[in-house]
Amino acid sequence: MSILHVNQLVARYPGAKTDTLKEISFTVNPADFYAIIGPSGAGKSTLIRCINRLVEPTSGTVRLFDQQITQLPPRQLRQTRRHIGMIFQEFNLVDRMSVMDNVLSGRLGYTSTWRSMLKLFSQADIQRALELLERVGLLEHVDKRADQLSGGQRQRVGIARALMQDPQLLLLDEPTASLDPKIARDVMTLIQQTARDLQIPVLCNIHDVALAKEFCNRILGLQDGRMMFDGETHSMSQQDLDRIYEREVL
Amino acid sequence: MSTQSQTQNRQLHWQRYRYPQSLIQFTLVLLALSALAYSIHFLNIDLQRLLSVFGRVGEVLAERYFPPDLAYISQPGYLQSVIESIQMAYLGAILGMLLAVPLAWFAAWNVTPARRWLYPLARLAIMGSRSVHEMIWTILFVTVLGFGMLPGVCALVMFCIGFAGKLFAEEIEVIDMGQVEAMQANGANPLQTFMYAVWPQVRTAWTGIAIYTWDVAFRAATVVGFFGAGGMGWYLKRNVQQLETERVAAILLSIVLLVLVSELISAWARHRLSRRRAGNQLQNA
Repeated sequence: MSILHVNQLVARYPGAKTDTLKEISFTVNPADFYAIIGPSGAGKSTLIRCINRLVEPTSGTVRLFDQQITQLPPRQLRQTRRHIGMIFQEFNLVDRMSVMDNVLSGRLGYTSTWRSMLKLFSQADIQRALELLERVGLLEHVDKRADQLSGGQRQRVGIARALMQDPQLLLLDEPTASLDPKIARDVMTLIQQTARDLQIPVLCNIHDVALAKEFCNRILGLQDGRMMFDGETHSMSQQDLDRIYEREVL
Repeated sequence: MSTQSQTQNRQLHWQRYRYPQSLIQFTLVLLALSALAYSIHFLNIDLQRLLSVFGRVGEVLAERYFPPDLAYISQPGYLQSVIESIQMAYLGAILGMLLAVPLAWFAAWNVTPARRWLYPLARLAIMGSRSVHEMIWTILFVTVLGFGMLPGVCALVMFCIGFAGKLFAEEIEVIDMGQVEAMQANGANPLQTFMYAVWPQVRTAWTGIAIYTWDVAFRAATVVGFFGAGGMGWYLKRNVQQLETERVAAILLSIVLLVLVSELISAWARHRLSRRRAGNQLQNA
């Protein structure tokens, strides 16, 4: 059974003259580490943000398990977003909060408003946060403020925060673009390992084709909002790649 | 080699000011300057008279307002009114800023929970409070509620909503939206998003604004009594009307002194705050 099914997805920003995404369809299966590649401006970020509706799609459907995400009213959308972990290019940690609070904020969707106002997270949540921090190797930094960490460390906090949600799908928006090549590889390895251990499918925006080929089993190629390729990584030829990158959009 | 010869053959050209834009810019500057000249001409400001003011002010102060009646302002009744003014400022500032926090949240375009209705409503409330001067608010509330502390507090609340609300909202509108996006992606509701992604980012700036608001509110509190809203201003008005100039001098002196003390304290607090902010930025770098 597929985890995520995207059908004929179209997105156009208010005031724009053309569609940013043009009828995109694809399916993510349980064991997938799915890469979306393409030149800058191809719509990779828009596509990934349409999945959890940080960007509202104009038409088409997004189905997670048996739920149509595209039609959900705000409250149900929030409940569904709890099951979708997201990791960002700029990490998007709350700089002025501690590492611990940043990781715990992954539980906000499961915590009542008044408990979260007082930062009263359950003992189980705290236990889980510590386990995840240990997994990403940051246990000794638990009380540091997020802005005191290095780029690679911050992305590890981002990973722990996303895993805190007990996600059934991980969305990665250029998780390595702000990191140097060595740390980028480490972070990708960590994500791959974790996703395997916890059996979470991954959908990942990535502009580094080498990384995509190394870590992902399927690749979707976007160019100017159009799907140019969709298939197994090993079936992608140099010709396909050239076609995806033939017209750079500046 | 070839590029060098090209450069020699062809004159390269660059201009800072280009025709249509430069004309518009210079015309605007000219218009602004001539408007200034015209207003000065229209007001017929006589420099001679303006300068002679200083001499006369000195004369009047020396003859009528000196020496200030210090015994009068040491009376328990007056000291009581000083306490009242401080209480009024405190209540007004606290209540006003508490109301300003949610209003600023609703009135910040980037994070408002409802752009269709909460945003315009909150904007309207803040703009409404701002568009009326705090003294006019005092007169309005005195008319409705009668004399005393209450109208003074209400006027100061209105003032703080307008003043702090606008500055709070502006501070929210420049935050890093990535952090907000991350909380939304977690499934956090709007209040949780505000507490976890907005509040940590604006906390320090808001503290500075709060100190500033207190400053202005306290200054206003010393004179709202002039319009019947209790505190020191009430004494000021009575003595002005009775031409008790030496008492007026003493009261003005006490107001200046109090405002000075308040400003010194908040300057110190702001200084500490900016040191802390500078420290944060160093850590970020």
